[in-house]
Amino acid sequence: MPKVMVIDDEPFILMMIEDKLKSAGLEVLTRRESRGAVEQIRQERPDLIILDWMMPEVSGLDICKELKSDPDLAGIPVFMLTAKGQEDDEKIGIRCGVDRYITKPFSPRSLLEIVLEQVGEK
Amino acid sequence: MNRSERNRLREDLQRTVRELSDTYEELTLLYQLSEDLAGLGVDEICEKLLKEVQILFDAETVAILLLNEKERHLYTKASTGNWNPDRIIPRGNRKSIFWRPLLKKKAITLCVTSSEKEHNELAGLGSVLIAPLTGKKKEIGLILAANRRKRDEFFAGDVKLLRSLAFQAGLFMENAILSREVQSFLIGIIRSFVRALEASSEWTAGHTERVTGYAVAVGRLLGFSPAQIERLRICSLLHDIGKIATPDEILNKGERLSEEEWEKIRQHPVIGAEILSELRGFIDVVDCIRYHHERYDGKGLHGLKGDDIPLKARILAVCDAFDAMTSDRPYRRRLSAEEAIEEIEKESGRQFDPEIAEVFSGWIRSAYGIEPPQPEPDA
Repeated sequence: MPKVMVIDDEPFILMMIEDKLKSAGLEVLTRRESRGAVEQIRQERPDLIILDWMMPEVSGLDICKELKSDPDLAGIPVFMLTAKGQEDDEKIGIRCGVDRYITKPFSPRSLLEIVLEQVGEK
Repeated sequence: MNRSERNRLREDLQRTVRELSDTYEELTLLYQLSEDLAGLGVDEICEKLLKEVQILFDAETVAILLLNEKERHLYTKASTGNWNPDRIIPRGNRKSIFWRPLLKKKAITLCVTSSEKEHNELAGLGSVLIAPLTGKKKEIGLILAANRRKRDEFFAGDVKLLRSLAFQAGLFMENAILSREVQSFLIGIIRSFVRALEASSEWTAGHTERVTGYAVAVGRLLGFSPAQIERLRICSLLHDIGKIATPDEILNKGERLSEEEWEKIRQHPVIGAEILSELRGFIDVVDCIRYHHERYDGKGLHGLKGDDIPLKARILAVCDAFDAMTSDRPYRRRLSAEEAIEEIEKESGRQFDPEIAEVFSGWIRSAYGIEPPQPEPDA
């Protein structure tokens, strides 16, 4: 079963994504603290990571940069959640290795679709 | 807290999350829809709405019916699945399943087991969900979803969601209809204006409409968007408006004009631009009219050269010249389309933009069935 890890400091977003992805039979790991996320990723080896950009302590972008500079973890696709109207951020994010952008507010249904598109083949 | 209480709490939380998630989904959708529908025409709005409703409600059949205000019937504007795309719903009252939502401004759902009459009207559709499309003032029509793929019926949440979608789409459709009406009113006024102007000289009658026909065709060949085409149409309809200041004796003179009279005619683009200069939102139109007799090589009235001349003005220059050459004048007979095209090709790069001259002559040749000139064989 494909494993998806979701990191967001907003509990509602986290619960909503978890519920939606689990309904399609995916294994979901959630995490609210951005600090220490990379260590957990290293241990858990998820098939996909969904990251919120704006988090206290360590930003989603910094986590992504760290992952993508580690040859061992760089292959895990990263979806970034970002607030609407910050389209300029996309360019920065893509340079840092973000695989896909999801602007908030997003449709949980379409999120599930693109997640399945990414990990469904496994 | 014991274990069973904890479990119940967990279930409650999960249910709440799911409900909130659905609401979040709806909000996102409405947000996205208003972004997607802004500035679209009625046809495009219907197309988008149809697709969205089909996916969202997992419905095989979706139909958008619009109100024909004159006949008071509903006609099918767009549809998929089990709906006859030619279906018209005749004038009806609140008892009709199709008219009730529109007249009462309420969304309704009906399942297959409803009363006999409704069942007949809805034959082959299974459970249906219908919401009215209304604007602030206008009744526009309705949207219907039916033949749900996985579940048999629609629920209260579905009714609410389709109602919100239809409400939002209705506002955008009303805007689109109003702006189309304003546009056609504007074009209508300009047309009457031009007809009045042309009435003063039998020699120029119909010139503006013909040039407009040519210009719009060239615009399409150059890949103009519908909005750009409309702009070009306005420019073209107004291009000779400055001739209102040219004395009728000059316009109708039965012999060659003197240099002094020519000078008066040559001023018409400038006078036209001055007349229209009050139209603040139409600077491009004013400029196009001012420069529609500029020469591509820069030897025209204002000395503008090449791409510095507005594109719409370069198009008009070619179309205007072609129509002038192929129309009789009091002092000369008209040229054939072939002769006029040869003249335009000769002036390509001098009087005219070569790209536009090429597009135009190619189009006229195919329209008139004229063969392009064959190159002379080498001696």
